[in-house]
Amino acid sequence: MSEFDDTSLFHEDDHRVAYIFTAPPTTTAATNTSPTTTTKSAPVRPAKRRRVLEKDTAAPLPAQEKDDDEGRQWPRLFNGLESPSAADLRKKTYESAWPVLESEIESVLRDANRQTLEEVVEFLNSDVHECEGRGRVPAGFIITGPNIAGQDLLFSQLGDVLAERGEGRVREGMGGQEGGGWEDGRGGRRYLDYDLEALRVEMEGRGGVVVAFQDSEAFDTGLVGELVGLFHSWQDRIQFSVLFGIATSVELFQARLLKATARQLYGAQFDVVQANAVLESVIMAAVAGTKAQLRIGPGLLRKLVRRQQEQVAGVGAFISSLKYAYMNHFYANPLSALLVDGQKLDKEILQPEHLEAVRMLESFKSHVEQSVEDGRLDHARLLLENDDYLKGRINRLAAKRQQYLGKLLQSLALVIATEHSKRSFVELYEAALEEGISLDQSPGPFDLGDAIKRSTPEELIGLIKRVMTVVVDGNPSLHWNGMGIGQDAEAAIDKFEALRADVERLIETSKKKKTSLKSKYSSQSRVLRTTVVAQKVQLSRDTATLTEEDNAFTAAIDDFFAFFKTLVGCEPLSNLFLNEVWQYDYHLPYEDVFVPRPGATFARALSRPHDYLGCACCDKANGSMVGTLPATSILYHLYSEAGASINVADLWAAYYALVGEDSEIGMDERSALVLFYRGLAEMRAMGFVKQSKKKADHITKLKWL
Amino acid sequence: MPPKKTTNQKAAARVPRKRPATTDPYEIPEEDEIEPPKRQRHAATAAADTDDATVSTPSVSRLKKTVATPIKLNGLNGIDTPSRKNNADRSARRKSARALVDRVISGAISDDEAEEGDIAREIYESSEDEEDEEGEEENLNGETEPTTTPSKFAPGRKRKTTTTRTRKRSPTPPRDLPPHEQYFFQNKPGLSKTSNNTLSSLQLLTHDEYFSLSRDLSSANPHRTDITHLASLHVSSFPQWAFELSQSFSLCLYGYGSKRQILHKFATYLSSHPPCSLGQANKIVIVNGYTPSITIRELLCSLASAVSSPTTTLPGILSHLTTHPKTTLTILLNSVSSPHLRKGSFQSIISTLASHAQVYLCCTTDSPDFALLWDSAVSTNFRFLYHDCTTFCSYSPSEMEVVDSVHELLGRKTRRVGGKEGVAFVLRSLPENAKSLFRLLVGEVLCADEGDGQGQGQGEEMSVEYRMVYNKAVEEFICSSEMAFRTLLKEFHDHQIITSHKDALGTELLSLPFRKEELEGILEELTT
Repeated sequence: MSEFDDTSLFHEDDHRVAYIFTAPPTTTAATNTSPTTTTKSAPVRPAKRRRVLEKDTAAPLPAQEKDDDEGRQWPRLFNGLESPSAADLRKKTYESAWPVLESEIESVLRDANRQTLEEVVEFLNSDVHECEGRGRVPAGFIITGPNIAGQDLLFSQLGDVLAERGEGRVREGMGGQEGGGWEDGRGGRRYLDYDLEALRVEMEGRGGVVVAFQDSEAFDTGLVGELVGLFHSWQDRIQFSVLFGIATSVELFQARLLKATARQLYGAQFDVVQANAVLESVIMAAVAGTKAQLRIGPGLLRKLVRRQQEQVAGVGAFISSLKYAYMNHFYANPLSALLVDGQKLDKEILQPEHLEAVRMLESFKSHVEQSVEDGRLDHARLLLENDDYLKGRINRLAAKRQQYLGKLLQSLALVIATEHSKRSFVELYEAALEEGISLDQSPGPFDLGDAIKRSTPEELIGLIKRVMTVVVDGNPSLHWNGMGIGQDAEAAIDKFEALRADVERLIETSKKKKTSLKSKYSSQSRVLRTTVVAQKVQLSRDTATLTEEDNAFTAAIDDFFAFFKTLVGCEPLSNLFLNEVWQYDYHLPYEDVFVPRPGATFARALSRPHDYLGCACCDKANGSMVGTLPATSILYHLYSEAGASINVADLWAAYYALVGEDSEIGMDERSALVLFYRGLAEMRAMGFVKQSKKKADHITKLKWL
Repeated sequence: MPPKKTTNQKAAARVPRKRPATTDPYEIPEEDEIEPPKRQRHAATAAADTDDATVSTPSVSRLKKTVATPIKLNGLNGIDTPSRKNNADRSARRKSARALVDRVISGAISDDEAEEGDIAREIYESSEDEEDEEGEEENLNGETEPTTTPSKFAPGRKRKTTTTRTRKRSPTPPRDLPPHEQYFFQNKPGLSKTSNNTLSSLQLLTHDEYFSLSRDLSSANPHRTDITHLASLHVSSFPQWAFELSQSFSLCLYGYGSKRQILHKFATYLSSHPPCSLGQANKIVIVNGYTPSITIRELLCSLASAVSSPTTTLPGILSHLTTHPKTTLTILLNSVSSPHLRKGSFQSIISTLASHAQVYLCCTTDSPDFALLWDSAVSTNFRFLYHDCTTFCSYSPSEMEVVDSVHELLGRKTRRVGGKEGVAFVLRSLPENAKSLFRLLVGEVLCADEGDGQGQGQGEEMSVEYRMVYNKAVEEFICSSEMAFRTLLKEFHDHQIITSHKDALGTELLSLPFRKEELEGILEELTT
């Protein structure tokens, strides 16, 4: 319809199944890039990450001949005003930030599966089955839980581990892809692909063969039975073992097998670490940990976690989403260039556009407003007017960010160490970013006061010990190394040591006195007393008497809590000056890209073409039906008004009434019929209608959008 | 029928508040509602007891007029154990009748109850239809009724019309229902009423006319510039897409309109801005998923030749790529959801390819249901990022056979061969025994169609068993070996005048893609 169609309406390549694409000669290239120029002159969409290389459009021909590296540059933002070095800096930052995290995630996942792997390998190596299950095929049942797709990693690791130990190759049987020939031995005599004799020769004098069925429930049961039978009959020549990944339970799996097959198996069951636990450790390492350059905002994080739980997506989906957030941030946010360390952040990189963008930030505005309210008018004025002053501030950004993260992680690690919080780490982390951490909030996620105060002396000592370990060693899964060796750390340790000594001393004394040590929080402090005086019952409230040690212990608890409060606490992330530079909390790109809603998209395009085309003629339609709409769109409107069965003759009549000679459009019948045909064929290709044989010339509706 | 009328009035008087808008003198189920248990007994014993039969005569004869379509009769006959089903229906019916009676007696009607009452009435009425048939059959067998000529198209479908009226409360369908509600609303039994108009007066388009007209139309499209502009917006996100590809994601472009042009432009862009890292050579392969002749083998061959891999198997290509880290492969796949690619094996092969680090995949899809193609394992391999790429471009002739598609939709002569004339033309060029075989085939299909009766006629096109046809062909000395038979069929296949498929049990079936009238015409022509 457009010039697009005309240029290659009958291109011969279009009829070929597949062809190798070679770049067209330069003339075609020039016409092909012309739409890019159109964009330049008519910037309708938000310029953000839609911009094309300026150089490229200005001179399309040289760009193609230039060095390969040229093509890999990122588009320059700020409507193309961004300097190439700044764009390059963003790219480099991304390229250094993500791989670190990726390897980190991989090691976390490997650790998570380590125990299962070791158990499985041990089972496969053990000789137990030779005594107990003589002649039977050893079978490991790996219970993966419902998201079997997420266990790809486990099986690939299993393959690696087994290969390392020279135990033979693991061949994975994926659900759905049945069969798959055996690879025959390298060189030597040729055997048919499926001849196990080949395998026997290959395996001569070596260990056994392990066959893994990753998604055994999706596998044809009959085939599994036959395979097991086959393995069993070869068991005296080749040492076969099988592994089954099972999503439900061994009992259900066994019920599907023939009894004869089940009898040939000798099995052991292994449980995989549940997906939730894996996810949490990934989040600790890759989202909350110090290695994460970019903070995923609380809103997005919550969404990601919820998607994991609701859609039973594997951890892989989460990691992809995380990666996409990084990609988005560095690719589309020009301010992400400010994320590099203060020293490296060359002053030349900072363009006037950067500063202007910084001044547009929400956090900048609220900071300035706050300064004005506080009476720091000079500061506010300098920020707004003096570029150098602002640059100075920006240079201190990295340090500020480190400081904040240190405090955040310290608080979280300490809160976890108390073991009094009932929430999961992810929830705590989200709450900390969103609302900050404050132990005084009650009720709130960090409402630990009561729990700590109510602890017994022994519990308190345990608590102090745990807290001290955290202060000294940090939390390895967060990659937080403790408070280090500064003054603060030493003071904290001294304080905790003193407290512990106090409490231990108090315990000793009370032991000698044979009283139990309690605080005013833990004991039933108020007792209701009943006294009978002169045949009258008297009720009186009485505070339990606390001994001297008890009082001292109470004081110690108070002291501990007060000091603990100084260590724990941080602001919400959004209160921080220029947090937008290193926080990413946008839902839209993520949702569009990972959880598309094609039904809604198609319905919108067809019911309101104006939204996409922006044409003048359909402007007034506003979702209703007018003759100027594309034919398919008109048919879609008629379609959505029709019942389950549609008479094509009536459809045609309705269509023609709208565009035909009697209407404003005034199309002749045959042309209208061509468009009608086209629309109908498209409706069919999109799966909206199918043929109906109930009545002549009727079609059946298939979609209710 | 005077008694009916009185009850009508009574009923109308009884429930004046409930349905004021639709009360009319004809609409009245109440009469039936009160009586049913009695009449049911009559119906059951009608054949044996003449007295009863005469007593119940009026109602029975009245019911006869309401008999439903003959199709239903067939359906009922086809069921193995009608008695059990009927018993269940009967008890449901009894219950609903009781509910209706109770409601009328108690007189108190709330909205809720009114609704329940409607349901009860529906149950009652729907089973009544069947019962009518039953009663009728009994009458047929017993011949106790002199007046019963069980004409199915007896005049006066009065009650039938009243029934539809009671069901359809308001003439205009409710607006703004959520999609699922709309589905149930529109699929209510008896609701689909369409006119009997057909396209017979309209001369359908031929290929030639379509192409000549569409060429003129394409230049006169009022949205031409807007579509170009929309495309240019998509073009401006090419750098982003290339970046996403380079980060080992796959792309899936969806949305209304042909995306072939965009993908082609993207290929041009990628050839100058490859997604692979420096020093790697990128090969771009464009795959047209819409081509009907696409096979996995052909696809893999093209890919293998692109990366100059010696083997054309999937593992071969992948291992070749692994051993040649300098080669990368970009696959641009048009219409991943086309009917020709919907097999699970194809999708899993593509996804295995896409999961390789040196393979970049960008595919487009034309239908909104594409997500159903992929199970969790496949989609994990794909690592798709989805982009809305609505283009409003019309599909090229290679992507969509508009005329054929529409004619198929209408159940007209579909293939290019062109119905009766086409078949005759094809057969003229074939040897004598091919003609005989085709005549045999047409005869068998028509026989099978008739044998099955009308009940089945509305389903799939009629098909006959391959084995049976072969046996007959041998009997009639059309061919002597299966190979010769296959050769003859191959010829028919090539001209698309037969189709073959397998049913659920794996039996091979042959069918002819023509309508019954056309088949009859062909047979006539062949035998004369």
